[in-house]
Amino acid sequence: MENNYQLSRIHNYIHGLMSREEMFQLEKEALEDPFLQDAIDGYRLQNGVDAKQLSLLQQRLSRRIENTIATRHAQYFTWQRLAIGAAAGVLFVVLLALLYFKHFNGKAERTTDVTLSEPENLVAIEPLLDGGDAAPVGGWKAFEQYLNNQVRDGGKGGEIIVNFTIGKDGLPDQIHAEGTPEQALVDEAIRLLQSGGKWQGTKGRLKITFPLKEMKNSAQSNIIKPPHCFGIEKK
Amino acid sequence: MNEKELLQHYKTTGDLSALGKLYSPYMSLLYGVCFKYLQDPDRSQDAVMQIFEELIPKLRHYEVDNFKSWLHVYSKNYCLMQLRKDKRTTQVDIEDNLFESEQKLNTSEEAKWEERDFEKLEGCMQALNEEQKECVRLFYLEQKCYKDIADLTGYDLNKVKSAIQNGKRNLKICMERKENGK
Repeated sequence: MENNYQLSRIHNYIHGLMSREEMFQLEKEALEDPFLQDAIDGYRLQNGVDAKQLSLLQQRLSRRIENTIATRHAQYFTWQRLAIGAAAGVLFVVLLALLYFKHFNGKAERTTDVTLSEPENLVAIEPLLDGGDAAPVGGWKAFEQYLNNQVRDGGKGGEIIVNFTIGKDGLPDQIHAEGTPEQALVDEAIRLLQSGGKWQGTKGRLKITFPLKEMKNSAQSNIIKPPHCFGIEKK
Repeated sequence: MNEKELLQHYKTTGDLSALGKLYSPYMSLLYGVCFKYLQDPDRSQDAVMQIFEELIPKLRHYEVDNFKSWLHVYSKNYCLMQLRKDKRTTQVDIEDNLFESEQKLNTSEEAKWEERDFEKLEGCMQALNEEQKECVRLFYLEQKCYKDIADLTGYDLNKVKSAIQNGKRNLKICMERKENGK
């Protein structure tokens, strides 16, 4: 307000719109106020006060101030975003690590799922790793195929765990069953192992599951082959 | 908030809108000052903005007592610096500047005038040269404006102005000398 008042006084002074007393008053003030005197000198050089120019200048100032405040906000938000981004990044890495460890641990446990056929229909074998390191020379799949080809019709269904050692010739030796399973199953397991292929390793421990055949004799030709057991042919 | 409080507020918080409130009333005067030295409307406007930019860090660090006169001196120096930068010859009246820099020192402590002070003043008046004596008398005693004095004496308006400014300065020096001499 005071500012505008001074400005209009300067304007009037320069354009000779003041009374003598007013002029004297302003001159006296300017003598005590070099700032005012300088400003009057400047406006006189410019031949007057340009109010439009000055209001543009005021606008520039307020824009300048607003910009800084806006910039500060922008920076603030950027900082916030960075924090969120960093948190998300950490979470992502943790998640990846968890996934990796889960996968890795699964391997470490070595839950080797070698159920190569459905137990209702086919002979299933499960190598028990705590008891040995044996593996069939031809691979588990071939071994299972052999079992299913060899298993006798009308055999009894059931589960049996057998331990055996592997001789120098690679054939299973000292085959004996764990616990007290039916003798028919033991006999069958021994027969299958002895007439089967060669083995690698030193000791074997297997769980063999013979299919339960409710409709003995007739079921053999109707076995549904699970898709992953390609190459298994029933005679 | 008054000027001092605004100044203090800005110094402690760095709140730019406080500085804006402080600065904005002086912008039109500042523009005039800048125009006096730079004599170009665009440059003067830019100078006003640039001075504001320079105040942003400065006023956070410096203790400023009298913002108005500080700002005046600062802006004047800024403009002179600009002129020096582009090596333009400037027509700055040395007498003018001398007067102004002394003016700053005289923070008006209004002393009571006694009879002998008036006698002293009369003595000092006689010591002034004719131009100054005449102009000072017409201005201060008869309260005539510069234009009237110019008309009466036939001097140029600028001459009247500097005669009064310098006469005032000389009187002050003379009065102080007599004060000390006693």
